[in-house]
Amino acid sequence: MSCEIEQDLTAFLDGELPELRAKQVEAHLPGCPSCAGTLSLIRRTVLQLAALPELSPSLALRRKVMARLDEPSGLTERLRALFRPAVLMPALGMAAAASVAVVLSVGPESRLDPEQMYVAMNMEMLEDFEVVGLEPEDVEVVTHLHELEALP
Amino acid sequence: MEVDEDAELMLRVAAGDKSAFAALFDRYQASICRFAYRFVGDQARAEELAQEIFVKLYRSAKSYRPSAKLKTFLFRVASNHCLNEVRRGEYRMPHVEPHTEEQEGADGQAQHASGPDQALEGKELERAVGEALSKMSERERAAFTMCRFEGMAYRDIAFALSASEAAVKSLIHRATLAVARRIEELQAGLCPARSQA
Repeated sequence: MSCEIEQDLTAFLDGELPELRAKQVEAHLPGCPSCAGTLSLIRRTVLQLAALPELSPSLALRRKVMARLDEPSGLTERLRALFRPAVLMPALGMAAAASVAVVLSVGPESRLDPEQMYVAMNMEMLEDFEVVGLEPEDVEVVTHLHELEALP
Repeated sequence: MEVDEDAELMLRVAAGDKSAFAALFDRYQASICRFAYRFVGDQARAEELAQEIFVKLYRSAKSYRPSAKLKTFLFRVASNHCLNEVRRGEYRMPHVEPHTEEQEGADGQAQHASGPDQALEGKELERAVGEALSKMSERERAAFTMCRFEGMAYRDIAFALSASEAAVKSLIHRATLAVARRIEELQAGLCPARSQA
């Protein structure tokens, strides 16, 4: 049967107990063969662990990590990359063509608010680019894309 | 002073200095790979995790405050990353198969070629530790690894795991005993076989 001191034996060996508690453990050990045995087992194990073979990382690891430092991180940077002119202009062109097609096919009886239509269309475009988890300010940008389109 | 040097390097990293980051990488790559290896039990997976951890360290350079030791900060990043990846099911500790006589023969030949008896002990020990680690909780594994292989103080481990020192004391005690008992079992199983030989 283990005693209450047993819980502190590893911390005792690691020098992590407060001084008073360490003295209590020390005083307890000579009269408790179970704790003395457990402490000796822990001590042996800690010494044996030092003999484990070392692990050497591959030489490629450094190269791979350094190469990844300039990758865009997080949604904001990925969105910025997505909205760079080379991607945005063709996408806006496609969106404009699609909006004309939608307006022509749906007709004047459409109940959709033009802003909602733009959000829906551009959300689709964003999904194509696998952008998920939009933040409120990103939705705001998408909502007003038609204003960007209207710019000369 | 290594701590001040680390903090200085990290401040340079925050200012965009990649050579400072390379110096930190060189200093801590072995520790992080070792930590990740003990976490997932496979060197290739451990290196994938180490890659992610260092990229995260680079990106979080601006949030680093020199009041925390860099090594502790780095192990906080590493612990969070490994715990999250394991919880997401991305990585699992491999199931360690029981040792067979065939394997023992093959291992014995390999070690015989390289010579000393000590190598055999190292391999057996590695197996016992791997088996014990694979059966404990992720937090026990993380606390044990930081304590036993990195020599980190309980207070620093508590910071890395966002836990109390009392919780860390208990995690390390349980994990150390689990490893000790697995080693003992293995030694008890091997002794008769050796004496027959």
